[in-house]
Amino acid sequence: MNMPIRNTTAEAAYLQAGQAMVVSPARRAAFDRFMASGLPHRRMEDWRWTDLKQLLARPFPPAAPVLTEARTVERLVALSPFEGVPRARLVIADGVYRPELSELPVTAGVSVRLLSDPTPIDADDPLLLLNTAFFTGGLKIEVAAGENVTLPVEIVSVNSGERAESFAPRIEVAIGDGAALTLVETHLGIDGSYVALPLTLAMLGAGARLDRIKVQEDAARAYHLANAHIDLGAEATLRDFTFTIGAAVTRNQGFVTFSGEGSDARVTGSYLLHDRQHCDTRLVIDHAVPRCTSREIFKCVVDEEARGIFQGKVIVRPNAQKTDGKQSSHALLLSPTAEFDAKPELEIFADDVICGHGATAGDLEEDHVFYLRSRGIPEDRARSMLITAFIAEAFDDVTDERLRDGLAARAEGWLDRQRRTADAEGMDSDG
Amino acid sequence: MGILEIKDLHVKLADEDKVILDGLSLIVRPGEVHAIMGPNGSGKSTLSYVLAGREGYEVTGGEVLLDGEDLLAMEPNERAARGVFLAFQYPIEIPGVATMQFLKVALNAQRKARGEPEMSTPEFMRLIRDRAQRLGISPEMLKRPVNVGFSGGEKKRAEILQMAVLEPSMCIMDETDSGLDIDALRIVADGVNGLRSPDRAMIVITHYQRLLEYIVPDRVHVLSQGRIVKSGDKSLALELEERGYADYGRDAA
Repeated sequence: MNMPIRNTTAEAAYLQAGQAMVVSPARRAAFDRFMASGLPHRRMEDWRWTDLKQLLARPFPPAAPVLTEARTVERLVALSPFEGVPRARLVIADGVYRPELSELPVTAGVSVRLLSDPTPIDADDPLLLLNTAFFTGGLKIEVAAGENVTLPVEIVSVNSGERAESFAPRIEVAIGDGAALTLVETHLGIDGSYVALPLTLAMLGAGARLDRIKVQEDAARAYHLANAHIDLGAEATLRDFTFTIGAAVTRNQGFVTFSGEGSDARVTGSYLLHDRQHCDTRLVIDHAVPRCTSREIFKCVVDEEARGIFQGKVIVRPNAQKTDGKQSSHALLLSPTAEFDAKPELEIFADDVICGHGATAGDLEEDHVFYLRSRGIPEDRARSMLITAFIAEAFDDVTDERLRDGLAARAEGWLDRQRRTADAEGMDSDG
Repeated sequence: MGILEIKDLHVKLADEDKVILDGLSLIVRPGEVHAIMGPNGSGKSTLSYVLAGREGYEVTGGEVLLDGEDLLAMEPNERAARGVFLAFQYPIEIPGVATMQFLKVALNAQRKARGEPEMSTPEFMRLIRDRAQRLGISPEMLKRPVNVGFSGGEKKRAEILQMAVLEPSMCIMDETDSGLDIDALRIVADGVNGLRSPDRAMIVITHYQRLLEYIVPDRVHVLSQGRIVKSGDKSLALELEERGYADYGRDAA
């Protein structure tokens, strides 16, 4: 037995609840597999910066499906950065789908069904196993072949923060051959401490396209431990953008697999972190077949004592010739105590490929700041213009202009808050 | 308004003991165009940066007054709002900030600092289109990020466009002619001449006399080893062209 000798309090809570659960054999198996190794920790290479044994310092038992009061849910849903943008909107509150608060897509070729039991996946990933074992509810979205869904479908996952529990919703998406979907996943919370364990599974058929935009603004004391598994058929297109502002601890895992030739994936993102926030992105891009292109670009702004991490791995399988895979991460550090770590990995087993990676971290260029000031722009405004410009480049991959505007407004709001905090601290030290 | 008085200015690099300006004095009155010429390393660019407020320099003596007020005590953006404008020798590229937006923010920041009402977007659009047209700058270029991907000539023209939009009273042009072919030089010089007015003073810093054929100065000063060693009218520039800087310091051009 590989059972840890002593469980942490968080693990003990999972163990106790898990043993009492009445679930399908598949979910039972996922639970047993998770408990065999427990929460991931720093001695595991992929988790060296995000030791959940230490970070999850208290029990967060798996949530029972409870219907949170509609008014509370609606108040949170209204905080979406995309309010006012025409879209279908599906609401998941405290891990439970709320059809009565949702607006379904009206396009005939799209079906949305309640996911009664999660599709089992054979993997050792602890977050995937937890999501399967403690699954609280979810949706299956299917787009018929050839259907171009013009209005975005937003899935708003809100957490009321009323219960310190683990919530494990799941979205399973299947996009038929030649079909296209813009999927927006918005995670919102204001109060309390909880663990969000969302999982997104997406399968793209031949020639299909998925534009996926994920925004995470969970509560300041929340944990957001997310997985996305995306599989691309031949000649498919993926545009995946993740925007992280919220939660105390964020782990975003993305697994993109090229299963058909000639596909193109851009996985991009941005974090805006302050206080002691921690955000760790782990991407694995698997070029399993020839002639696919992948780009990963992350642009992050880190202030105060926050810490950003980017771990990107590109695997090129032996037969995956003509692969073109590049990744880069760029961090703007706004305080001397902010930190950013980048770990690019390339595992290349084919010889006719183009692969590369790059990483930068630093402050704004003083020459840029001076140039703006020399034209009459006050220093704080000059700095925020330059930071906005830095982040805006990350938004370039979001092709829907209205969605991009929603993101940009959020970034502006974040910068304003940071500036006000800095001003207030300046006044404190003056007095 | 806009009398600039530089009195016995001494400047060294902030992080090393290298004296660059060593007792420079100059008075520039509204409407006047002064040319400052000198060999490489004589302190021309430092003078422009110190007047604009760039960090990295330490003033060890003397003073600079703008309308009787201590210019060196002002932040760079305050100086801009008071009418000081530096056309950079090497204009900085600012990725992600569109030229149009940049100029609108700059203009309104200056107006706000002066207690003037902000300019509306349509009003601003009319202004910038008019000024851009005169300098042969396409509307397409105004949408591009500031100086990013501009040729050398386009960058210099963009600097003059900024000057034309911001309408400063004290223009400092640092080697605006460098890197320009004769056609580009003519366009830039026409742009500058169009901005000459009784309320506006200009300091034209240049290594070569060529620019002064197009922008004819009222006064010419020779800068050498951090101070003005000779002043005269425009004929001094021609004299320098013939004889070089050999008479004025070790770093002869």
